[in-house]
Amino acid sequence: MPQALKYKAKSIIYFEGDISDKIFILQSGKVSLISTDIETGKENRELVKTGEFFGVKSSLGKYPREETADVILDSVVLIFTVSEFEKLIYTNPRITIQMLKVFSNQLRRIHKQVGNLLSEEEQVDQEKGLFGIGEYYFKNQKFKQALYAFRRYLTYYPAGILQAKATEYLVSIEKCPPGKTPAVSSGPAPSSSSGPASSVASLSALSAAVKEEGESTTSVYYDGMTLFSKENYEEAINCFRQYVSANPDGEYVVKALTDIGKALYLLKKNDECIKHFTSMIQKFPKSSELGDFLLHLGLSHEAKGDKAKAESFFKKVIDISEEGSETKRKAKAKLKALGGA
Amino acid sequence: MALDLTQFDRFKVTFQKGDQIFCEYEPGDAFYLIQTGRVQIVKIIGEIEKMVDILQPGEIFGEMAILEEAPRSASAIALGKVEVLEFNKKNFEILMRGNPQIAMKLLMTFIKRIYDQKRRFMILTLPDPQSKVADVFLMLYETQAVQQQSEAKITEDVVIDASPEDISHWCGLSIAECRQVITYFTAQRKLETRNNQFVIKNINDLQRLVNSRRKKEQL
Repeated sequence: MPQALKYKAKSIIYFEGDISDKIFILQSGKVSLISTDIETGKENRELVKTGEFFGVKSSLGKYPREETADVILDSVVLIFTVSEFEKLIYTNPRITIQMLKVFSNQLRRIHKQVGNLLSEEEQVDQEKGLFGIGEYYFKNQKFKQALYAFRRYLTYYPAGILQAKATEYLVSIEKCPPGKTPAVSSGPAPSSSSGPASSVASLSALSAAVKEEGESTTSVYYDGMTLFSKENYEEAINCFRQYVSANPDGEYVVKALTDIGKALYLLKKNDECIKHFTSMIQKFPKSSELGDFLLHLGLSHEAKGDKAKAESFFKKVIDISEEGSETKRKAKAKLKALGGA
Repeated sequence: MALDLTQFDRFKVTFQKGDQIFCEYEPGDAFYLIQTGRVQIVKIIGEIEKMVDILQPGEIFGEMAILEEAPRSASAIALGKVEVLEFNKKNFEILMRGNPQIAMKLLMTFIKRIYDQKRRFMILTLPDPQSKVADVFLMLYETQAVQQQSEAKITEDVVIDASPEDISHWCGLSIAECRQVITYFTAQRKLETRNNQFVIKNINDLQRLVNSRRKKEQL
């Protein structure tokens, strides 16, 4: 059983540098933790709130105490051994979660401080960083890793500034026969002035060549994504359809079909879009994209002026989507705009 | 105590050798507990791929994603066939309630990482390459001492398993700079090198060096 102990004002519960396996909760009184700030070397004082733990990290990690616990006013503290503490958190997951939040913030803070010391240039923008990882692995011929990074890039930044270049890398890896080394044009990423159009053309040419060889690859799917992001929806639909008919069991079939539906909506072909997603729901009732299907059914009905149907679809999206998801957020916004609940 | 994780089988994900589990810079929304196999953590710095860690069954990685979807700070790659349990913000609470041992493990993981980073910060703020490298040795010694606490007798020689690459990773100096300091220490008979091992002749001597430089810095 944890012990309750009284400390007089101006006494010390433990000193910085002590080694001990005791963990404390402040029950009443006033205790201050005195530590040295690792950045400035100055003394830091922090009051312990009533009910708060202290001495946790050093006890559990078997490290020397990182602070001195100084009693300001007469106080009562509960003292736990490590095994008593373990028992306590086994029965109180809330405490653990709370503590993890505190630790995770501390870790993030110290990570940042270390990062600042290492070098400023390391702070690359996230999008370029991800692309850079793909490029690094590509150059070092670790194509599996490169493929992963570029695919991730295109998933997170479908209309990103390096999208065309990433697609080009991807295609060149995927269409490369085993044992050979894929290559891409060594020039810089296509610029907006001359690049995109020619790069898309060359990609289509590539995929056409691939098709002639009778190989089924995913490159045509990426072509579709490229065209989609350039708002060339008609052509994008063609690519996605090609992909689906060549790879009926392909990895991206549901995605390609979903994108066809989205393109139909963006082309204002509302009736076709409704028909398309209605059949998608029947074919893939358990798809993780279900929210997206329903959202576009709502959008198409809205575009046709059928407010009632639109509302009922948006409500369904809200029912089935994960809290915080993009789809749910969109549906909520739409519903609100329509004057619904 | 053995963990009974059968109730979490629905969170199980399998990776094959060389598979990327996640990639540096990609937004993180899950963390992992290794069940079988080993996972390599790497980071690309400049033009080199640096090995940060190799993780064993029972270890947790990607834990920074528990509370916020910040970008990954390193990549995780399967070293062989790897089975992991994948947890995200949503099923995290179920996990905490269903298996407090994992909760404890997570706490310990955070504590270790915070301590390591703080220690690294202390190393990086030292003013010169010599004290930085010396402090890396001290840190590696402290870690070993915590792990092998039963045999805490202080012998004259302290053996530390590390390569110049490891030293360079910790102190933020280039491998060449680290080698220079190591050569200097060797000439001063503070240190001997074997294959991926360093023998420190007098650990207190290094401690004094670091203390004096650190004090000067803080005045």
